[in-house]
Amino acid sequence: MIRSMFLIYGLAVLAAVSLAEYRGWSLDRVDEVLNVPKSVRDNPGSYRSVYSSYHHYTGGK
Amino acid sequence: MSETGPAPSGKPQVRSSNCPSCGAALSLRSFGQAVTVVCQSCHSILDAQDPTLKILQTFQVAVGEDPPLIPLGTRGTIRGTTYEVVGFQRRTIRVEGIPYSWHEYVLFNPYKGFRYLTEYNGHWNDTSILRSIPAVSPGKSSLTYLGETYKQFQSANASTSFVLGEFPWQVRVGETADVCDYISPPRVISSEQTGKEVTWSMGEYIAGRDIWKAFKLSGDAPTPIGVYENQPSPMSEAVSATWRMVFVFAVALIVLMSVFYTFSRDEAAFEDGYTFDTNTTGEASFVTDIFELKGHTSDVVLTTTAELNNSWLYVNYALINQDTGHAYDFGREVSYYHGYDSDGFWSEGSTKDSVTVPSLPPGHYYLRIEPESDPHHGSIPYSVSLRRDVPQLSFFALGALGLLIPAIVLTWRSISFEHMRWAESDYGGAPDDGSLLSTVENAVDSVKDSMSGDDE
Repeated sequence: MIRSMFLIYGLAVLAAVSLAEYRGWSLDRVDEVLNVPKSVRDNPGSYRSVYSSYHHYTGGK
Repeated sequence: MSETGPAPSGKPQVRSSNCPSCGAALSLRSFGQAVTVVCQSCHSILDAQDPTLKILQTFQVAVGEDPPLIPLGTRGTIRGTTYEVVGFQRRTIRVEGIPYSWHEYVLFNPYKGFRYLTEYNGHWNDTSILRSIPAVSPGKSSLTYLGETYKQFQSANASTSFVLGEFPWQVRVGETADVCDYISPPRVISSEQTGKEVTWSMGEYIAGRDIWKAFKLSGDAPTPIGVYENQPSPMSEAVSATWRMVFVFAVALIVLMSVFYTFSRDEAAFEDGYTFDTNTTGEASFVTDIFELKGHTSDVVLTTTAELNNSWLYVNYALINQDTGHAYDFGREVSYYHGYDSDGFWSEGSTKDSVTVPSLPPGHYYLRIEPESDPHHGSIPYSVSLRRDVPQLSFFALGALGLLIPAIVLTWRSISFEHMRWAESDYGGAPDDGSLLSTVENAVDSVKDSMSGDDE
Protein backbone atom coordinates (compact mmCIF):
# COMPACT_ATOMS: atom_id res chain seq x y z
CA MET A 1 0.00 0.00 0.00
CA ILE A 2 2.71 2.47 1.08
CA ARG A 3 4.88 1.31 -1.82
CA SER A 4 2.07 1.89 -4.32
CA MET A 5 1.39 5.30 -2.84
CA PHE A 6 5.07 6.24 -2.98
CA LEU A 7 5.32 4.98 -6.57
CA ILE A 8 2.44 7.27 -7.56
CA TYR A 9 3.91 10.10 -5.48
CA GLY A 10 7.37 9.70 -7.03
CA LEU A 11 5.95 9.70 -10.55
CA ALA A 12 3.93 12.79 -9.66
CA VAL A 13 7.10 14.54 -8.43
CA LEU A 14 8.92 13.71 -11.66
CA ALA A 15 5.93 14.88 -13.70
CA ALA A 16 5.69 18.12 -11.70
CA VAL A 17 9.43 18.83 -12.13
CA SER A 18 9.18 18.11 -15.87
CA LEU A 19 6.16 20.38 -16.22
CA ALA A 20 7.83 23.14 -14.18
CA GLU A 21 10.94 22.96 -16.34
CA TYR A 22 9.09 22.76 -19.65
CA ARG A 23 6.63 25.53 -18.85
CA GLY A 24 9.36 27.65 -17.29
CA TRP A 25 7.92 28.12 -13.83
CA SER A 26 9.92 30.24 -11.41
CA LEU A 27 10.29 30.74 -7.69
CA ASP A 28 11.12 34.44 -8.19
CA ARG A 29 8.48 37.03 -7.39
CA VAL A 30 7.14 38.85 -10.45
CA ASP A 31 3.91 40.85 -10.58
CA GLU A 32 1.70 40.75 -13.60
CA VAL A 33 -0.09 43.79 -14.96
CA LEU A 34 -2.80 43.46 -17.59
CA ASN A 35 -3.72 45.81 -20.42
CA VAL A 36 -0.70 48.07 -20.35
CA PRO A 37 -1.49 50.85 -22.89
CA LYS A 38 0.55 50.97 -26.06
CA SER A 39 1.31 54.63 -25.29
CA VAL A 40 3.92 53.48 -22.76
CA ARG A 41 6.32 53.04 -25.67
CA ASP A 42 5.97 56.71 -26.50
CA ASN A 43 5.82 57.94 -22.92
CA PRO A 44 7.66 55.52 -20.59
CA GLY A 45 7.18 57.88 -17.63
CA SER A 46 3.43 57.33 -17.75
CA TYR A 47 3.88 53.78 -16.47
CA ARG A 48 4.06 53.44 -12.71
CA SER A 49 6.01 50.44 -11.56
CA VAL A 50 4.68 48.34 -8.70
CA TYR A 51 8.11 48.65 -7.11
CA SER A 52 8.62 52.39 -7.52
CA SER A 53 8.17 52.98 -3.78
CA TYR A 54 10.84 50.38 -2.86
CA HIS A 55 13.19 51.52 -0.12
CA HIS A 56 16.68 50.85 -1.27
CA TYR A 57 19.42 49.30 0.74
CA THR A 58 22.37 51.61 1.05
CA GLY A 59 24.55 49.13 2.86
CA GLY A 60 28.21 48.62 3.33
CA LYS A 61 30.14 48.67 6.54
CA MET B 1 -2.76 -20.21 7.19
CA SER B 2 -1.23 -22.84 4.94
CA GLU B 3 -1.28 -25.81 7.26
CA THR B 4 -4.25 -28.08 6.77
CA GLY B 5 -5.60 -30.92 8.79
CA PRO B 6 -8.75 -32.81 9.50
CA ALA B 7 -11.36 -30.96 11.42
CA PRO B 8 -13.44 -32.56 14.10
CA SER B 9 -16.65 -33.41 12.37
CA GLY B 10 -20.13 -33.09 13.77
CA LYS B 11 -20.80 -31.95 17.28
CA PRO B 12 -17.96 -31.60 19.76
CA GLN B 13 -17.31 -34.87 21.54
CA VAL B 14 -17.58 -34.09 25.21
CA ARG B 15 -17.29 -36.45 28.14
CA SER B 16 -19.32 -35.35 31.13
CA SER B 17 -18.44 -35.89 34.76
CA ASN B 18 -19.12 -34.18 38.01
CA CYS B 19 -16.75 -32.17 40.14
CA PRO B 20 -15.91 -34.17 43.30
CA SER B 21 -15.61 -30.90 45.19
CA CYS B 22 -18.83 -29.06 44.35
CA GLY B 23 -20.77 -31.58 42.28
CA ALA B 24 -21.04 -29.28 39.27
CA ALA B 25 -21.06 -30.86 35.83
CA LEU B 26 -17.63 -31.02 34.17
CA SER B 27 -17.10 -31.06 30.43
CA LEU B 28 -13.95 -32.86 29.27
CA ARG B 29 -13.29 -31.93 25.68
CA SER B 30 -9.76 -33.14 25.04
CA PHE B 31 -10.44 -36.86 24.70
CA GLY B 32 -8.49 -37.82 27.78
CA GLN B 33 -5.38 -35.97 26.68
CA ALA B 34 -5.76 -33.35 29.40
CA VAL B 35 -3.65 -33.86 32.51
CA THR B 36 -5.60 -31.47 34.70
CA VAL B 37 -9.04 -29.96 34.50
CA VAL B 38 -10.34 -26.97 36.42
CA CYS B 39 -13.94 -26.86 37.58
CA GLN B 40 -15.56 -23.76 36.18
CA SER B 41 -17.87 -23.64 39.18
CA CYS B 42 -15.62 -23.97 42.24
CA HIS B 43 -12.23 -23.62 40.43
CA SER B 44 -10.91 -26.80 41.97
CA ILE B 45 -8.03 -28.24 39.99
CA LEU B 46 -8.68 -31.92 39.31
CA ASP B 47 -6.57 -34.79 38.02
CA ALA B 48 -8.06 -35.44 34.58
CA GLN B 49 -6.12 -38.72 34.29
CA ASP B 50 -7.72 -40.05 37.44
CA PRO B 51 -11.09 -41.81 36.94
CA THR B 52 -12.37 -40.24 40.16
CA LEU B 53 -11.06 -36.77 39.22
CA LYS B 54 -8.95 -36.41 42.32
CA ILE B 55 -8.78 -32.86 43.67
CA LEU B 56 -5.25 -31.53 43.20
CA GLN B 57 -5.75 -27.95 44.36
CA THR B 58 -8.49 -25.61 45.38
CA PHE B 59 -8.25 -21.86 45.27
CA GLN B 60 -10.57 -19.04 46.04
CA VAL B 61 -11.56 -16.74 43.25
CA ALA B 62 -14.35 -14.27 42.92
CA VAL B 63 -17.00 -15.46 40.50
CA GLY B 64 -16.58 -13.82 37.14
CA GLU B 65 -13.07 -12.68 37.74
CA ASP B 66 -11.06 -12.39 34.55
CA PRO B 67 -13.44 -14.20 32.21
CA PRO B 68 -11.77 -15.42 29.02
CA LEU B 69 -12.39 -13.28 25.95
CA ILE B 70 -12.90 -16.51 24.01
CA PRO B 71 -15.31 -18.69 26.06
CA LEU B 72 -14.28 -22.29 26.73
CA GLY B 73 -15.83 -24.63 24.18
CA THR B 74 -15.63 -22.09 21.35
CA ARG B 75 -14.36 -23.51 18.10
CA GLY B 76 -12.33 -21.68 15.52
CA THR B 77 -10.08 -22.35 12.54
CA ILE B 78 -6.38 -21.56 12.95
CA ARG B 79 -4.13 -22.18 9.95
CA GLY B 80 -6.80 -24.34 8.32
CA THR B 81 -7.36 -26.56 11.33
CA THR B 82 -10.35 -26.39 13.62
CA TYR B 83 -9.49 -26.06 17.29
CA GLU B 84 -11.60 -25.86 20.38
CA VAL B 85 -10.79 -23.67 23.36
CA VAL B 86 -10.42 -26.06 26.30
CA GLY B 87 -8.36 -24.11 28.82
CA PHE B 88 -7.54 -20.63 29.98
CA GLN B 89 -4.98 -19.25 32.40
CA ARG B 90 -3.68 -15.90 33.50
CA ARG B 91 0.00 -15.51 34.18
CA THR B 92 1.69 -12.61 35.90
CA ILE B 93 5.17 -11.21 36.09
CA ARG B 94 6.40 -8.41 38.31
CA VAL B 95 8.76 -5.76 37.03
CA GLU B 96 9.96 -3.28 39.63
CA GLY B 97 7.04 -4.32 41.79
CA ILE B 98 4.43 -3.69 39.12
CA PRO B 99 2.40 -6.75 38.05
CA TYR B 100 1.89 -7.38 34.34
CA SER B 101 -0.54 -10.12 33.35
CA TRP B 102 -1.26 -11.90 30.11
CA HIS B 103 -3.71 -14.61 29.18
CA GLU B 104 -3.16 -17.97 27.59
CA TYR B 105 -5.82 -20.03 25.84
CA VAL B 106 -5.37 -23.78 25.43
CA LEU B 107 -6.68 -24.98 22.06
CA PHE B 108 -7.27 -28.63 21.19
CA ASN B 109 -7.75 -30.62 18.02
CA PRO B 110 -7.99 -34.41 18.37
CA TYR B 111 -5.65 -34.94 15.37
CA LYS B 112 -3.26 -32.03 15.85
CA GLY B 113 -3.14 -31.92 19.63
CA PHE B 114 -2.71 -28.74 21.64
CA ARG B 115 -2.01 -25.23 20.50
CA TYR B 116 -2.06 -21.94 22.38
CA LEU B 117 -3.17 -18.37 21.95
CA THR B 118 -1.68 -15.70 24.16
CA GLU B 119 -3.10 -12.24 24.67
CA TYR B 120 -1.63 -9.14 26.30
CA ASN B 121 -3.24 -5.70 26.06
CA GLY B 122 -5.05 -6.68 22.86
CA HIS B 123 -1.94 -8.22 21.24
CA TRP B 124 -2.31 -11.87 20.26
CA ASN B 125 0.13 -14.64 19.49
CA ASP B 126 -0.50 -18.03 17.93
CA THR B 127 1.85 -20.30 19.86
CA SER B 128 2.96 -23.90 19.57
CA ILE B 129 5.58 -26.01 21.29
CA LEU B 130 8.90 -26.35 19.44
CA ARG B 131 10.00 -29.82 18.42
CA SER B 132 13.71 -28.99 18.51
CA ILE B 133 15.87 -26.89 20.78
CA PRO B 134 17.11 -23.51 19.48
CA ALA B 135 20.83 -22.69 19.58
CA VAL B 136 21.30 -20.07 22.29
CA SER B 137 24.36 -17.80 22.06
CA PRO B 138 26.91 -18.04 24.89
CA GLY B 139 25.81 -14.77 26.48
CA LYS B 140 22.14 -15.71 26.00
CA SER B 141 21.66 -12.41 24.17
CA SER B 142 20.30 -14.16 21.11
CA LEU B 143 19.39 -17.54 19.71
CA THR B 144 19.17 -19.13 16.29
CA TYR B 145 16.33 -21.30 15.13
CA LEU B 146 15.86 -22.58 11.58
CA GLY B 147 18.50 -20.14 10.36
CA GLU B 148 16.79 -17.12 11.88
CA THR B 149 18.33 -15.05 14.66
CA TYR B 150 16.19 -13.96 17.60
CA LYS B 151 17.28 -11.23 20.02
CA GLN B 152 16.67 -11.58 23.72
CA PHE B 153 13.91 -9.21 24.77
CA GLN B 154 12.82 -9.90 28.31
CA SER B 155 13.23 -12.41 31.08
CA ALA B 156 11.11 -12.69 34.19
CA ASN B 157 9.63 -15.04 36.72
CA ALA B 158 6.02 -15.74 35.79
CA SER B 159 3.43 -17.12 38.15
CA THR B 160 0.10 -18.67 37.29
CA SER B 161 -2.64 -16.58 38.89
CA PHE B 162 -5.86 -17.94 37.40
CA VAL B 163 -6.83 -21.16 35.62
CA LEU B 164 -9.94 -22.54 33.98
CA GLY B 165 -10.67 -25.66 31.89
CA GLU B 166 -8.29 -28.38 30.75
CA PHE B 167 -4.52 -28.40 30.54
CA PRO B 168 -2.05 -30.89 29.13
CA TRP B 169 0.20 -30.45 32.16
CA GLN B 170 -0.10 -30.42 35.92
CA VAL B 171 -1.29 -26.85 36.24
CA ARG B 172 -1.34 -25.17 39.65
CA VAL B 173 -2.27 -21.70 40.73
CA GLY B 174 0.83 -20.08 42.18
CA GLU B 175 3.28 -22.22 40.25
CA THR B 176 6.18 -20.23 38.83
CA ALA B 177 8.51 -20.52 35.88
CA ASP B 178 11.47 -18.53 34.60
CA VAL B 179 10.45 -17.23 31.21
CA CYS B 180 12.64 -15.62 28.61
CA ASP B 181 11.50 -14.19 25.28
CA TYR B 182 13.62 -13.88 22.14
CA ILE B 183 12.12 -11.94 19.29
CA SER B 184 12.36 -11.72 15.54
CA PRO B 185 9.09 -9.99 14.64
CA PRO B 186 6.55 -11.24 13.90
CA ARG B 187 7.82 -14.31 15.79
CA VAL B 188 8.85 -14.84 19.37
CA ILE B 189 10.54 -17.86 20.89
CA SER B 190 9.97 -18.32 24.61
CA SER B 191 11.68 -20.58 27.06
CA GLU B 192 9.98 -21.62 30.27
CA GLN B 193 12.09 -23.23 32.91
CA THR B 194 10.57 -25.03 35.87
CA GLY B 195 13.22 -26.77 37.89
CA LYS B 196 15.44 -28.52 35.37
CA GLU B 197 12.73 -28.79 32.74
CA VAL B 198 12.82 -26.23 29.90
CA THR B 199 10.00 -25.89 27.41
CA TRP B 200 10.48 -23.94 24.20
CA SER B 201 7.60 -22.46 22.26
CA MET B 202 7.24 -20.25 19.26
CA GLY B 203 4.59 -17.58 18.86
CA GLU B 204 3.62 -15.64 15.80
CA TYR B 205 1.87 -12.31 16.09
CA ILE B 206 -1.72 -12.43 14.92
CA ALA B 207 -4.17 -9.54 14.72
CA GLY B 208 -7.07 -9.61 17.18
CA ARG B 209 -9.56 -9.15 14.36
CA ASP B 210 -8.25 -12.37 12.77
CA ILE B 211 -8.87 -14.20 16.06
CA TRP B 212 -12.38 -12.76 16.19
CA LYS B 213 -12.97 -13.84 12.61
CA ALA B 214 -11.51 -17.32 13.19
CA PHE B 215 -13.68 -17.97 16.24
CA LYS B 216 -16.70 -16.06 14.91
CA LEU B 217 -16.83 -13.95 18.05
CA SER B 218 -19.34 -11.16 18.42
CA GLY B 219 -18.27 -7.54 18.65
CA ASP B 220 -14.80 -6.25 17.95
CA ALA B 221 -11.48 -7.44 19.25
CA PRO B 222 -10.02 -5.22 21.99
CA THR B 223 -7.90 -2.44 20.55
CA PRO B 224 -4.20 -3.21 21.08
CA ILE B 225 -2.46 -0.91 23.53
CA GLY B 226 1.11 0.15 22.83
CA VAL B 227 3.67 -1.79 20.83
CA TYR B 228 4.13 -5.48 21.67
CA GLU B 229 7.47 -7.24 21.74
CA ASN B 230 7.04 -9.16 18.47
CA GLN B 231 4.46 -6.93 16.82
CA PRO B 232 5.56 -6.49 13.22
CA SER B 233 6.34 -2.91 12.36
CA PRO B 234 3.92 -1.65 9.73
CA MET B 235 6.79 0.40 8.33
CA SER B 236 9.82 -1.91 8.40
CA GLU B 237 9.35 -3.43 4.94
CA ALA B 238 8.00 -0.20 3.50
CA VAL B 239 11.07 1.73 4.67
CA SER B 240 13.62 -0.32 2.73
CA ALA B 241 11.32 -0.51 -0.29
CA THR B 242 10.76 3.25 -0.15
CA TRP B 243 14.48 4.01 0.00
CA ARG B 244 15.05 1.72 -2.98
CA MET B 245 12.38 3.64 -4.84
CA VAL B 246 13.91 6.96 -3.75
CA PHE B 247 17.18 5.80 -5.32
CA VAL B 248 15.42 4.82 -8.56
CA PHE B 249 13.53 8.12 -8.70
CA ALA B 250 16.72 10.06 -7.91
CA VAL B 251 18.42 8.40 -10.88
CA ALA B 252 15.36 9.24 -13.00
CA LEU B 253 15.58 12.83 -11.76
CA ILE B 254 19.25 13.05 -12.78
CA VAL B 255 18.38 11.62 -16.21
CA LEU B 256 15.55 14.14 -16.49
CA MET B 257 17.90 16.96 -15.52
CA SER B 258 20.40 15.83 -18.17
CA VAL B 259 17.65 15.81 -20.77
CA PHE B 260 16.49 19.33 -19.89
CA TYR B 261 20.01 20.72 -19.71
CA THR B 262 20.76 19.11 -23.07
CA PHE B 263 17.61 20.09 -24.94
CA SER B 264 16.69 23.45 -23.38
CA ARG B 265 17.38 26.25 -25.88
CA ASP B 266 19.00 28.63 -23.35
CA GLU B 267 19.11 31.21 -26.14
CA ALA B 268 19.83 34.95 -25.99
CA ALA B 269 16.70 37.01 -26.69
CA PHE B 270 17.94 40.50 -25.91
CA GLU B 271 21.07 42.27 -24.76
CA ASP B 272 22.03 45.93 -24.56
CA GLY B 273 24.14 48.29 -22.50
CA TYR B 274 23.23 51.65 -20.96
CA THR B 275 24.62 54.34 -18.74
CA PHE B 276 22.63 55.90 -15.93
CA ASP B 277 23.75 59.41 -15.07
CA THR B 278 22.44 60.26 -11.61
CA ASN B 279 23.23 63.93 -12.09
CA THR B 280 20.74 64.21 -14.91
CA THR B 281 17.36 65.50 -13.91
CA GLY B 282 14.15 64.54 -15.62
CA GLU B 283 12.52 61.25 -16.55
CA ALA B 284 14.90 58.33 -16.07
CA SER B 285 12.67 55.64 -17.57
CA PHE B 286 12.96 54.51 -21.16
CA VAL B 287 11.93 51.56 -23.32
CA THR B 288 14.03 49.18 -25.37
CA ASP B 289 13.57 48.05 -28.91
CA ILE B 290 11.02 45.32 -29.52
CA PHE B 291 12.44 41.81 -29.55
CA GLU B 292 10.82 38.44 -30.20
CA LEU B 293 10.54 35.47 -27.87
CA LYS B 294 10.19 32.36 -30.02
CA GLY B 295 9.29 28.76 -29.32
CA HIS B 296 7.03 27.45 -26.59
CA THR B 297 6.04 29.13 -23.35
CA SER B 298 9.18 29.19 -21.23
CA ASP B 299 11.04 31.08 -18.56
CA VAL B 300 13.18 34.13 -19.24
CA VAL B 301 16.23 34.96 -17.17
CA LEU B 302 16.96 38.68 -17.03
CA THR B 303 20.46 39.59 -15.88
CA THR B 304 21.54 43.05 -14.81
CA THR B 305 25.26 43.75 -14.70
CA ALA B 306 26.46 47.11 -13.40
CA GLU B 307 29.88 48.65 -12.89
CA LEU B 308 29.51 49.52 -9.23
CA ASN B 309 32.05 50.70 -6.71
CA ASN B 310 30.61 51.06 -3.19
CA SER B 311 27.25 51.98 -4.65
CA TRP B 312 23.95 50.55 -5.71
CA LEU B 313 21.67 50.55 -8.68
CA TYR B 314 18.00 49.73 -8.47
CA VAL B 315 16.10 49.05 -11.68
CA ASN B 316 12.33 48.94 -12.08
CA TYR B 317 11.62 46.59 -14.93
CA ALA B 318 8.45 46.01 -16.89
CA LEU B 319 8.67 43.30 -19.52
CA ILE B 320 5.72 44.17 -21.73
CA ASN B 321 4.11 42.02 -24.39
CA GLN B 322 3.56 44.38 -27.31
CA ASP B 323 0.87 42.11 -28.76
CA THR B 324 -1.31 41.69 -25.66
CA GLY B 325 -0.38 44.55 -23.32
CA HIS B 326 0.44 42.00 -20.60
CA ALA B 327 3.32 43.24 -18.44
CA TYR B 328 5.61 41.45 -15.98
CA ASP B 329 6.67 43.98 -13.39
CA PHE B 330 9.60 43.54 -11.05
CA GLY B 331 12.38 45.49 -9.44
CA ARG B 332 15.97 44.37 -8.98
CA GLU B 333 18.77 45.81 -6.97
CA VAL B 334 22.44 45.47 -7.75
CA SER B 335 24.81 46.66 -5.06
CA TYR B 336 28.44 46.11 -4.38
CA TYR B 337 30.43 47.39 -1.43
CA HIS B 338 33.98 46.60 -0.44
CA GLY B 339 36.88 47.93 1.60
CA TYR B 340 39.47 47.11 4.22
CA ASP B 341 39.18 46.99 7.96
CA SER B 342 41.12 45.44 10.83
CA ASP B 343 40.23 41.96 9.50
CA GLY B 344 41.47 42.79 6.01
CA PHE B 345 39.51 42.99 2.79
CA TRP B 346 35.74 42.72 2.94
CA SER B 347 33.01 42.88 0.34
CA GLU B 348 29.31 42.38 0.14
CA GLY B 349 26.83 42.21 -2.69
CA SER B 350 27.61 41.67 -6.32
CA THR B 351 27.77 43.62 -9.55
CA LYS B 352 25.42 41.14 -11.17
CA ASP B 353 21.82 40.11 -10.48
CA SER B 354 19.52 37.63 -12.20
CA VAL B 355 15.80 37.03 -12.00
CA THR B 356 13.69 34.36 -13.65
CA VAL B 357 10.42 35.55 -15.16
CA PRO B 358 8.09 32.55 -15.32
CA SER B 359 6.11 31.10 -18.19
CA LEU B 360 6.38 33.73 -20.88
CA PRO B 361 4.41 32.89 -24.00
CA PRO B 362 6.05 33.57 -27.37
CA GLY B 363 5.46 37.03 -28.79
CA HIS B 364 6.91 40.48 -29.29
CA TYR B 365 8.18 42.17 -26.16
CA TYR B 366 9.99 45.26 -25.01
CA LEU B 367 11.42 46.34 -21.69
CA ARG B 368 10.56 49.49 -19.79
CA ILE B 369 13.60 50.29 -17.66
CA GLU B 370 13.66 52.83 -14.85
CA PRO B 371 17.01 52.99 -13.02
CA GLU B 372 17.57 54.61 -9.63
CA SER B 373 20.62 55.23 -7.51
CA ASP B 374 22.15 57.71 -5.07
CA PRO B 375 21.74 61.24 -6.37
CA HIS B 376 24.94 62.89 -7.59
CA HIS B 377 26.75 59.57 -7.75
CA GLY B 378 27.63 60.09 -11.36
CA SER B 379 27.49 57.73 -14.28
CA ILE B 380 26.78 54.04 -13.75
CA PRO B 381 27.29 51.84 -16.80
CA TYR B 382 25.11 48.74 -16.79
CA SER B 383 23.88 46.11 -19.18
CA VAL B 384 20.68 44.11 -19.44
CA SER B 385 20.42 40.67 -21.04
CA LEU B 386 17.57 38.21 -21.50
CA ARG B 387 17.85 34.48 -22.13
CA ARG B 388 14.83 32.25 -22.69
CA ASP B 389 14.19 28.57 -21.99
CA VAL B 390 16.88 28.33 -19.32
CA PRO B 391 16.89 25.11 -17.22
CA GLN B 392 16.55 25.76 -13.50
CA LEU B 393 18.36 23.67 -10.92
CA SER B 394 15.96 24.77 -8.19
CA PHE B 395 13.10 22.54 -9.35
CA PHE B 396 15.34 19.48 -9.50
CA ALA B 397 16.52 20.29 -5.99
CA LEU B 398 12.92 20.67 -4.85
CA GLY B 399 12.04 17.39 -6.58
CA ALA B 400 14.88 15.61 -4.77
CA LEU B 401 13.70 17.12 -1.49
CA GLY B 402 10.14 16.05 -2.28
CA LEU B 403 11.33 12.48 -2.80
CA LEU B 404 13.38 12.45 0.39
CA ILE B 405 10.79 13.87 2.80
CA PRO B 406 8.30 10.93 2.79
CA ALA B 407 11.16 8.43 3.04
CA ILE B 408 12.67 10.31 5.97
CA VAL B 409 9.27 10.57 7.70
CA LEU B 410 8.65 6.86 7.16
CA THR B 411 12.11 5.99 8.49
CA TRP B 412 11.59 8.18 11.54
CA ARG B 413 8.23 6.54 12.25
CA SER B 414 9.84 3.12 11.92
CA ILE B 415 12.60 4.10 14.33
CA SER B 416 9.99 5.46 16.77
CA PHE B 417 8.06 2.18 16.55
CA GLU B 418 11.18 0.14 17.33
CA HIS B 419 12.08 2.55 20.13
CA MET B 420 8.65 1.96 21.71
CA ARG B 421 9.09 -1.80 21.30
CA TRP B 422 12.50 -1.95 22.95
CA ALA B 423 11.55 0.51 25.69
CA GLU B 424 9.60 -2.42 27.21
CA SER B 425 12.56 -4.78 27.08
CA ASP B 426 15.12 -5.66 29.73
CA TYR B 427 17.47 -3.24 27.97
CA GLY B 428 15.09 -0.27 28.18
CA GLY B 429 16.18 0.53 24.63
CA ALA B 430 17.55 -1.11 21.52
CA PRO B 431 20.44 -3.53 22.10
CA ASP B 432 23.74 -2.14 20.87
CA ASP B 433 23.98 -4.40 17.83
CA GLY B 434 24.92 -1.88 15.15
CA SER B 435 21.36 -1.58 13.87
CA LEU B 436 20.01 1.75 12.62
CA LEU B 437 17.85 2.07 15.74
CA SER B 438 20.73 1.49 18.15
CA THR B 439 22.92 3.87 16.14
CA VAL B 440 20.27 6.60 16.32
CA GLU B 441 19.65 5.97 20.04
CA ASN B 442 23.38 6.06 20.77
CA ALA B 443 23.66 9.33 18.86
CA VAL B 444 20.71 10.80 20.77
CA ASP B 445 22.22 9.62 24.08
CA SER B 446 25.56 11.19 23.13
CA VAL B 447 23.87 14.51 22.38
CA LYS B 448 21.97 14.36 25.68
CA ASP B 449 25.17 13.52 27.56
CA SER B 450 27.06 16.36 25.94
CA MET B 451 24.22 18.78 26.68
CA SER B 452 24.00 17.71 30.31
CA GLY B 453 27.80 18.03 30.45
CA ASP B 454 27.51 21.58 29.14
CA ASP B 455 24.92 22.38 31.78
CA GLU B 456 27.29 21.23 34.45
